[in-house]
Amino acid sequence: MTAGSQVAAHGTREARGGWRLSGALGVLAIAAAGASLVIGRTSGGPTFGFGGPDLAPIVLTEIRLPRTLLALLVGGTLGLCGAALQGLLRNPLAEPGLLGASSGAAFGAVIVFYFGLAGADSLALPAGAVAGSLVALAALYGLAGRRGDFLTVVLAGIAINAFAAALTSLALNFAPSPYAALEILFWMLGSLADRSLVHVALALPLMVPGWLLVIAAARGLDALTLGEDTAASLGLDPRRTQWLVIGGTALAVGGAVAVTGVVGFVGLVVPHLLRGRVGQHPSRLLLPSFLGGAVLTAVADIAIRLMPPGPELKLGVVTALLGAPFFLHLIVRARPAGGA
Amino acid sequence: MPFSIAKPSSTRAALRDVRRPRALARRAQRAPVAWRWRRGRIAASFATLLLLSAGARGAALPAVASINLCADQLVLTVAAPEQVLTVSWLSADPEESLLAEQAARYPLNYGSAEELLRFHPDVVIAGAYTNAFTRALLARLGYKVIELEPEDSIADIARNLRLVAAALGREERAEALVAELHTREQRIAAARPEHSPATVVVRPGGFTVGGHSLADELMKLAGVRNVAAEQGLDRWGSLSMETLLASRPELIVLTGYRASQPSLANAVLEHPALRLVGARRTATVPAPYWDCGLPQSLDAAALLQQAAAP
Repeated sequence: MTAGSQVAAHGTREARGGWRLSGALGVLAIAAAGASLVIGRTSGGPTFGFGGPDLAPIVLTEIRLPRTLLALLVGGTLGLCGAALQGLLRNPLAEPGLLGASSGAAFGAVIVFYFGLAGADSLALPAGAVAGSLVALAALYGLAGRRGDFLTVVLAGIAINAFAAALTSLALNFAPSPYAALEILFWMLGSLADRSLVHVALALPLMVPGWLLVIAAARGLDALTLGEDTAASLGLDPRRTQWLVIGGTALAVGGAVAVTGVVGFVGLVVPHLLRGRVGQHPSRLLLPSFLGGAVLTAVADIAIRLMPPGPELKLGVVTALLGAPFFLHLIVRARPAGGA
Repeated sequence: MPFSIAKPSSTRAALRDVRRPRALARRAQRAPVAWRWRRGRIAASFATLLLLSAGARGAALPAVASINLCADQLVLTVAAPEQVLTVSWLSADPEESLLAEQAARYPLNYGSAEELLRFHPDVVIAGAYTNAFTRALLARLGYKVIELEPEDSIADIARNLRLVAAALGREERAEALVAELHTREQRIAAARPEHSPATVVVRPGGFTVGGHSLADELMKLAGVRNVAAEQGLDRWGSLSMETLLASRPELIVLTGYRASQPSLANAVLEHPALRLVGARRTATVPAPYWDCGLPQSLDAAALLQQAAAP
């Protein structure tokens, strides 16, 4: 990411630290991907290897590869968008999952899929997810984003999130397919099980432009840390930054949710863990957060496969188990010292 | 790992072969020497392994993996025992399955694509409830996936028996089962009681069964009136305690599903109003009899008829 180095005038040491961190996270991501390709799961629980020379090519390329790729891409998306939203809203609790971007996307995908507008392999599905995500984020920003204080943004996000989740349940209950009601769980908790390369091809064309839009906002995000007026005086239009982040997040998160359902907390946890190492510039946090999100999601998905024998856990269950206590910790710490 | 990326053509060939293991075995049988020359030693010894397992399974009949509770039980009913490679884990649970003992003899699966690959099935039988991603992935890998629609009537039971049988080469067995099913159906129909008691099925969670369902057809067959269906409920839905009381049922049917395990759903069955409603009788028809459509589902009708008899 070149944006990170463009603001290097503020502190080359921090910038260098950011690159070093990204390098380390990149190595971790590769290691996690390698482990994810080698570790499988059968009726007897976790397995290591590919189940014999006859199966190896299929298991590797058609089952573990798509799963691993999606874990990295979806995790990266969530990490990147979490970091960008935290920068845009100047709020450490912003995250696609908590603010309703993911639930909105799930609602959009559910409408498109269950009401016969498109099959599971059609691009209309992620397009619906993108639209849902965009509506949720635009509503949040319109209602509470620009001048909203810390608490307003989070509460508005929680309300939009709950509303979108309720709409999803409602839609699934009224869907013509009798199985739809059973699949609420998938859309709400997310999973990578048995995805194929088709799903990678479905999500990637939306994720990549989404990432690029978010990355294009990097300089604007740095300027925003000085306040909107200062940013404007530096010649950076805050509105442009705002729409780059919202549009990019909607695209990338929409693509992700359309194939994996809602995976929460990755976008919250990762930027926080990394912020202390790169300083307060949002731009420097983007690449490490992308890589960190990829690592965390891949590791969570590996953890699922390492569980004792039984039906597979949903990915969102594991990320919530890790993320929710972290979220609580942040809330307690972020509470104003003199507050009631 | 033995998988080599350096030889893309042999990788592709291996892929093709694994997609149709039986075809590979047949080809190896026809021209083992030429085959060995083409594919190399490791692959050939693998083919021998396949041949051996093919022999063990019975030469002609396709080997089957089933990944859905209802499909499992149909497969266990129709298939020759040596055809079955694996069934899903629920079917070995006596609370869920009527054929738990039989199912427990086979390796159990949790329905993921990766574990199924290892069984080298010729056919995979799935239910419409089975994870759509798994079905799509298996189809993409070249497996023959049969997807069974749920059985909403006795005719659907016959349809699915025949569908499974056609995939397994067991048509004769299915025809015998269907003939028996219809004979038994007629026998139960002939024994309907003179007075049809107003009946309500109370399932865990306060659910009941409405019209256009297998349970409703079994109730009709047994000669009891399904109050919920008469009130316009379609397939299934919830039944409030108040509706239940207002319908003045003469017979309450419980399903006794996982009665020993705590759940909110089962707590409904403990509602004091259920005891106060003054139903003349209660009957218990275990859930597995009507959750999946099987030849044994007619036992549910027989049980209802017994309970309705004066």
